[in-house]
Amino acid sequence: MTEAMPPVPVPVASRVLAQSGLTRVRGWIGLPAGVVLVLIVGSILSDKFLSVSNLTNVLISMSIVGLIVVGMTFVFISRGLADLSVPATVGLGGILVLGLQPSLGSLVAGIVGVLAAAVAGFINGGLIGWARVNPVIATLAVGTIVLGVAQAFVGGVIVYGTDTATQDFINSRILGGVPVIVLIFLSVAALGHILLSRTTIGRYTYAVGSNPAASEASAVPVKFTRAFAFLLTGALGGFAGVILGLSLQTARPTLGIGYEFDAITAVVVGGVSLLGGVGSIPRAMSGLLFVQLLTNIMVLQGVPSPVQGIAKGAMIAGAVALDVYLRRRGGTQ
Amino acid sequence: MIEVALALRMEKIGKAFPGVQALSEVDLEVGQGEVHAIVGENGAGKSTLMKILAGVYQPDAGSIHLNGVEVVLQSPLEAKRQGIRMVYQELNLVPDLSVSENIALGRIPKKRGLVDRARMDADARGVLSELQTKIVPSMIVGDLTVSQQQLVEIAKAYASEPKIIVLDEPTSSLSEHETQALFRVIRRMSSAGVSVIYISHRLREVIDIADTVTVIRDGRRIDTQSIDGVTVEKMISLMVGRQLDEVFPKKKVPIGDTILEVKNVSVPGRCEDVSFTVRAGEIVGLAGLVGAGRTEVAQAIFGLRRYSRGQVIVGGVSTHITRPRKGIKAGIAYVPEDRKTEGIIPSESIRNNISLAVLPSLQRAGFIERRKEKELAQQKAHELGVSPPLIERLANTLSGGNQQKVVLAKWLAAKPTVLILDEPTRGVDVGAKADIHTIIGELAAQGVGILMISSELPEILAVSDRIYVLHEGRVTEEIARSDASEERVMRAATGGGLS
Repeated sequence: MTEAMPPVPVPVASRVLAQSGLTRVRGWIGLPAGVVLVLIVGSILSDKFLSVSNLTNVLISMSIVGLIVVGMTFVFISRGLADLSVPATVGLGGILVLGLQPSLGSLVAGIVGVLAAAVAGFINGGLIGWARVNPVIATLAVGTIVLGVAQAFVGGVIVYGTDTATQDFINSRILGGVPVIVLIFLSVAALGHILLSRTTIGRYTYAVGSNPAASEASAVPVKFTRAFAFLLTGALGGFAGVILGLSLQTARPTLGIGYEFDAITAVVVGGVSLLGGVGSIPRAMSGLLFVQLLTNIMVLQGVPSPVQGIAKGAMIAGAVALDVYLRRRGGTQ
Repeated sequence: MIEVALALRMEKIGKAFPGVQALSEVDLEVGQGEVHAIVGENGAGKSTLMKILAGVYQPDAGSIHLNGVEVVLQSPLEAKRQGIRMVYQELNLVPDLSVSENIALGRIPKKRGLVDRARMDADARGVLSELQTKIVPSMIVGDLTVSQQQLVEIAKAYASEPKIIVLDEPTSSLSEHETQALFRVIRRMSSAGVSVIYISHRLREVIDIADTVTVIRDGRRIDTQSIDGVTVEKMISLMVGRQLDEVFPKKKVPIGDTILEVKNVSVPGRCEDVSFTVRAGEIVGLAGLVGAGRTEVAQAIFGLRRYSRGQVIVGGVSTHITRPRKGIKAGIAYVPEDRKTEGIIPSESIRNNISLAVLPSLQRAGFIERRKEKELAQQKAHELGVSPPLIERLANTLSGGNQQKVVLAKWLAAKPTVLILDEPTRGVDVGAKADIHTIIGELAAQGVGILMISSELPEILAVSDRIYVLHEGRVTEEIARSDASEERVMRAATGGGLS
């Protein structure tokens, strides 16, 4: 039926209002309201919470996963489900930068690390975009292979780095106390936001996620757009691994485990739709901030980590359920 | 007539949604075995009324009587229990199951706790033959044509021994021929005492099949009449509340040189050796039954589908178009058949929808030039009369007709020399239909060559300068406007054109 509701002219307006109301509600999930709420709750529970040093620590701790969130947002919006090869690309980046450091120096080794991870992302993209393999399966398989390669490269043990100068720089604070690592994260997030909101590939990402068939018929390069999201996530995973490796000067193949889950949690809680077509980098970032602040409160309150895990899991399930519910109510399905 | 038992009486039904009165004092009386058509523009309130009957919505006012007994249909389940069945436009079948499984779904016969397959098949066969269809119960539903699936859907409703069946736009995806098969089924059901409520935009069919017609406009019942003596023009004037002189306005336009030449194009299994030409300013109709290969030919020309043999010559240049991007470059635009699945990007704004196909020309170094994009969207939305003309509004908040205008706007933004329209007015209301025909006429006047696919014969006949008819993947006839008649097109479409 083409008429969802009744007659002109009043109904058109009211129908639109009802919808944008729902859209607005959705925009608020994990967004300012949630963040402000967490800030209030946190400050009531602990007087340490609102201190500059605590909040700076929260920012530092979200910087590495924040890099991955940028890529994962593209994956979600393009209806690519999720990239589960993140632990492998992070591990690859960390191992390569430290393993190649003695011969190439940190900068070149880092570039190699990012490129190698980008290749893994490219393979993901090829399998998903052109061979139409399910993204979950493709990224799991590629991730397993990449991790195997990384392990073979270092023989399964820890790699140690010796570049303390770079390590100190990454862990330092500049511009009157801003941690370098946070600066890196914020720059990448800003670039990601511009890429998604202002460029053609960004627009294609939304179109492909919202309606692949219509995109195809409108000459949108659907396969390339899908693949691009995974290429980007692979490269950013590698970059996260490189930064992590340089800041720790140690890396093992398991370096990246858990980052995929944290990134997915942030994106989902931020209200970026798993069903594609809806979301933005700022939204994903507020989701990340929300989760990190909540985790911080739990840590300050001495909540045991198993309970923290349960809370995070519940948040994912709840956010996805809410997204699906709102979509149905909004009639966008 | 008065003594005929009333299967359904809806009395003074009222329903309000926040900010709008959807229905006011609507009466509907349907006799047993009657085929009762409900017509009205989109948004008139037909769907709301039917959703009340289906138990989806609760009325604010009025009462519902079934066989003289007042009932309260507080849920879809209750409505089903009372013998009311809906067959919606979107089919609700499980494509991977067989016909008999689909028909039995929800009340599968069991023997000792296990599925009684023999009885299930026998039941299905009984229903299908009672409805005089030739569908085999063991076939997988996904392998059937859309029209056969529709008949299965109706058989499924009929098998549950309903008192009232509501058919919502049942013929929108059917060809004339298949429509006749559906009508036979409807007549069978009606003579078995089942009341059929028939909702359609196709007024000519309403005259063919209905006993009675009720016209709804702006949430009110305007009139209920016996179908004898009702004309299409009469119904339209009741629906829109004004006299429409011409349903399909046709503009006289000078016709130029050949702009599209399709030579011996073949898509394996879909069409064979298709050749035709379109000239600048000309509207060429492509008629044929559903499945005749019309859409496939159009998609092949545009690059959405590979063709194995043949040539496409646009503006004198032979091009092998393998991708839509190449089609656009060659000057072709294709407005697809199904705007929901292939036309609109629902969660994007009108602006983003309009610019989608021409983004490469609106970008500098990968960045979208937003001012240019905005101007383009505003201009095109204005030209096509998209309502409301707010380009930041999301496409999924628009009515069907306006969504179709947005899709048209997207393709006009590509400045095509050849515009292919696949069922451009399917499922849009009478007003929007006239708008779209006017737009098509204006484009032709600007020298665009237009190829229009339509399953509605009156539309093809009224709009086209020339008509090609496809039958089973081949062009069977080319008919000039002056020689065209419904009979002649139908004959060619069913394979009887060439003698």
